[in-house]
This record gives sequence, C-alpha cells and structure tokens, in this order.
Amino acid sequence: MSEAKRLHPAAILFNFLKVIREFLFAIILGFITFRNESFSYFILIASVLIILMISYSVASWYRYTYRIEEDELRIEYGILIRKKRFISINRIQSIDLTASVIHRFLKLVRVKIETAGSGLGSEASLTAVKLSEGEQLRSELKRERVSADQTEEVVENQAPVRKITFKRLFLSGTTSGSIGIIAAIFAFVFSEMEQFIPDNIYESTINWVIGLSIVILIVLGVLVLILLWVLGIAGTMIKYGNFTITKNEKELFITRGLLEKKQLTIPLSRIQAVGIEESLIRQPLGYVTVFAQIAGGSMRKGEEFPTVLFPILKKSEVEDFLQEFLPDYASQHDSMTLLPKRALKFYLFRPMLPVVFLLAGVWYFLPQFIWVPVAFLIGASILGYLRFKDAGYHLTGERLTISYRRVSKMTMLIYHRRIQSFEKKQHKLHLKQKLASMKLSIIAGLGGQHFPIKELEEKDVDLLSDWYSYRR
Amino acid sequence: MRLPPKNTIAADAITVWKITAAISVGVLWLLTAAVAIVSYIFDFIYWYAVIAAIISSLCTYFFVFLLPKLRFKRWRYEIFDQEIYIQHGILIVSRTLVPMIRVQHVDTKQGPILKKYQLASVTISTAATTHEIPALLEEDAAELRDKISVLARVDEDDV
Repeated sequence: MSEAKRLHPAAILFNFLKVIREFLFAIILGFITFRNESFSYFILIASVLIILMISYSVASWYRYTYRIEEDELRIEYGILIRKKRFISINRIQSIDLTASVIHRFLKLVRVKIETAGSGLGSEASLTAVKLSEGEQLRSELKRERVSADQTEEVVENQAPVRKITFKRLFLSGTTSGSIGIIAAIFAFVFSEMEQFIPDNIYESTINWVIGLSIVILIVLGVLVLILLWVLGIAGTMIKYGNFTITKNEKELFITRGLLEKKQLTIPLSRIQAVGIEESLIRQPLGYVTVFAQIAGGSMRKGEEFPTVLFPILKKSEVEDFLQEFLPDYASQHDSMTLLPKRALKFYLFRPMLPVVFLLAGVWYFLPQFIWVPVAFLIGASILGYLRFKDAGYHLTGERLTISYRRVSKMTMLIYHRRIQSFEKKQHKLHLKQKLASMKLSIIAGLGGQHFPIKELEEKDVDLLSDWYSYRR
Repeated sequence: MRLPPKNTIAADAITVWKITAAISVGVLWLLTAAVAIVSYIFDFIYWYAVIAAIISSLCTYFFVFLLPKLRFKRWRYEIFDQEIYIQHGILIVSRTLVPMIRVQHVDTKQGPILKKYQLASVTISTAATTHEIPALLEEDAAELRDKISVLARVDEDDV
C-alpha cells in the first residue's frame, strides 16, 4: 500500500459538519441581529459562506492523502500550505477504529492513530475510511511493528475476551444513578414524612386541599425521578452496549457503544494504576466497576478519565478478571491496615463543619425548615464514618493497595515504580495524637492524580515513606 | 524518614518574603485609604474605615512580620543521590519525597526581588507534580539544578 490514497468522499460531509459547527454561533448570531432589517443580505452572505465552506470541505478532502511508505505512515494535507506528517510505525502506540452513527450507516470507520507524545488531539485521525480498508490499515501498521520488534513470539493461545451480558448491562444502567438522584430520593422521603405528621394532627379541609396538591406534587416528582432513571439506563446502555475487552500480548482492546462504536487500545505499559470503584448504590448489591489510570492519551471530549476496564462486575469476579487481563494486579486480599480509632473525630468533623454553619444559618432565618440541615448533618456524619471505616492501605512487595472513599469507595492498586512522589503531612493536632496524612501522586492522562489518605497512624506513614524511599 | 532534611534555604528568604507580602498588604492599605477618603467625602460612618484599618494591620502583622520567619524556620531540603527530600509548611508540616528517576526537568527562576538579593528558586517537575525550593543563593540554585539534572539522568524503563 504505497500509493497515496484519499479518504472516502464521505469525509467531505464530516469536514463540512465540523466547519459548520465552528461557525454555528456566528450564523445564529447573524440570524438574530439581521432578522428584521436586511434579512435578504443575511441570506446572501450566509449562502456565500456556505458555498465557501462546501468548497473548503471538498478541497481539504481532495488535498488530504495518506500512504504507508518505508515503515512510516505519511499524511499530506493542507489546501494552500502543504503540510506533511510522517509517523514512524515504531512510534505508534495505538490505532483505534471508531464509528459514529453516520459512519456505521455508510459502513465507514474513523482511524485514530496515537503516539506516546502527549497532545490535545490524536497524532493523526483519518476521518472516514471504508471499514475493510481501516482494518487492513490497522493490520498493516501492526504487522510492521511486530516484525520490527522481532522479540514478539506468536503464541497460539486464545486471547482472553470478556463481553458484557445484556442482563449486566441493564443492571449497570439501573444502578448507575448519580448521587444527585439519591439526594433527590432522600429529600423526597423526608418531605413526605414532614407532611405526614401534620396531616394526622389537623384534619381540616384546608389541609386536605394542601394534601391533594402535595399528592400531585409527589406524583410529578416520582414521574421526574423515573424519567431521570430511565434516561440514565438508556444512557448507560448506549454508552456501554456491546462492551468487549480483549487482551493481546501487550495491549488491552476495548470496544463499546450501541450507536457510536468506539474502540480503545491501551498499551499495558502505560497503565499507571488499577482501581475498583464501589458506588453507593452498587456496593450493597456487591457490584463494582474496574478502571485504570493511563498515562498520556488524547484529551478529547467523550473520552473518559479514568478509563473503564469493565463497567460492572460482581465483587467476587474481580479476582478472575484481573487474573485474566492484568495478572500483575491480581491476587487481592482483604486484610487492609485500617485507621486508628482516634482518627474518627477528624473524619466526622470535616464533612460536618460546613453543615453546622448551614444549620446555624437556617435555625436563625428559617426555623421551620430546621429539619433540612439536620438531615444533612446526619448524612454528613454517616459519610464521615464511612470514609473513616473504608480508608486503609496494604503493602505486598512492590505493590501498594490503598482504599478510600469520597462518595464511592475506591480501591487503588499501584506499583512502587509508578508513584511519582510521596508526601507526609502533619498538623499540630496530628502531632499530639501521633497521626499523619499521606499523599501519593501518579501520572493520569496528561497531568497527575493525587491520592491522599488522611489520619493514618504515624508509624504507618513512616513505614510507607521508608518503603517508597529510594535511599536504602 | 524520621529526621527532617538538613539544608536550610538562604536567610535572605525572610526579607524577600517580607517584601513580597508588603507589596500585597500595600494594596490592602491603599484600599483602606480609599475607604477612609470616600467615607470622609460622603460623610459615611467611619466604622467601615476603622474595620478596614484593623483588617489591614492584622494582615500586615501576620503576613509581613510573623509568617515569613516561621516559614523560613520550617523550610528544609536535602538532595540525596536517589531522591529529593523537602519539608515545608507552617501549620501543616509536609515532607515530600521525589525520586530522582521520576524527575522530568529542573528549572531555576528569578524574579526582580530575588535578583536584588542574588537569590533564585529551583522548580523540580515530575510527570505528575511540581515542587519548588524557594530562595536559594544564586550559585547554590545553579549547582543544585545541575546536580539534580545529572542525577535524574537515569535510563527509564517505561513511560
């Protein structure tokens, strides 16, 4: 495949859509300002603009060519200023084929090529290529790389594959509820209880009328909640439909999406940490999400950080999953070193403090609504207690496991060599109590991610820093 | 890592911090003056001006006179062959370990105030974090930068 090729003509459409999107604001603004007077001029200018855009789209499609030559992917583009981009095959980290709804309709794919270099977009993105050709391109770029490496041995064993079942997908949708919905339900139950008490005491007609309107309100509220819930289910199912993860010698492949088919390649060497998330709804049901923090990658919208490795798994299945896909991160254990009892007061104090201020404010200004901050206070103390209970760490050789909770409980598995820096923090109050906080940083995406665990036993933090220290 | 790091930063750091704080506090005093003038012209209650003056003097005391000394007392660093060890913080004492092999680049920086006292600060960046050692003697800063950059030149296996 050494002759220069153009993209599929549908790329013109994608170019055009992209340009339109950039000018959409100006067009709408123009439409609003010139609506009454000089509307014909607006139409004239707009049509000239659109013709210009179309010709631009056609020209940029015409001038965009790609070919594979001398172990390089060579792309030439630019209408007036010719630009050439040569990407050495050895430097390519991942080749992803994704397809939007339009792509799928026309049996096309978008080929995204990424190198290790961090940047906002991908290194190269071929907007529209025939599916067969996209696959051929990928295998070509891959094959070249393997033969260049020479170290790779083709092992003829089955590559592990895991697919999401429909049942699981549905379950994942139903339990994907964000904290907002939980809060809504919570507030709801409370408002109901509040109305329940006066109804029993005053049985006058006025209250009956109020009760009636409240019934209507409740019904409306329930409907809205159900709607949100259904939307949540639909959203999750579209996003994670056909979720498949495959492992190949050095990479994980993820394809997902019911309408828009997305593909993601994760080189194993770029995984910085593996995490297990137990959200408030899923935790009691025993389900978790497995994700990974990955270095680099393109920070485009629609790509999530951290990267979900599997949207929903039973807690008992995690071990098998890791064993199969990331054996380095397997063999977990439950014996975490937890926080000492005397750390609890710090954990209770932190979330409750702002609520106490709120309580004082409400008590002063709106004493009839005092139950709202009281409910929040109870919520905050429960959250504080859960955070205290779930924080901990465990050391196994070179691997550190930490667990903590903001809202969802997170368990992170991190290797010593992935940690970028370690910090021990101590407050005057901590010093007296022989407590200390720690913070470790890893690379995630284009920046860093920091994991603090507060109020550990001081000797535990010292132990961890000795473990981390390179100075023996 | 029980022992704190050995080296202190340059003693002139206190002066530099005092000057920097004085400039910020100066803005506060200007605002206070503005409040006073406005209340004088429009016959407002002079309490606003008094409160502003109290806030400004408190800030002056804390940020110009008290904190720089405390901060200097706490600021320590030590460079080992394998890692950088930094301690700082007034109320919350934090001790940071940065392994040499994780260092991506080192910078020295010098603003006009630091330059006047022949000082410079050293910034150490990893892929995920940045750490700054403020106000070292110029030659120390340059030496430190070169030393770290040599020590950081370890072959990386990945990332």
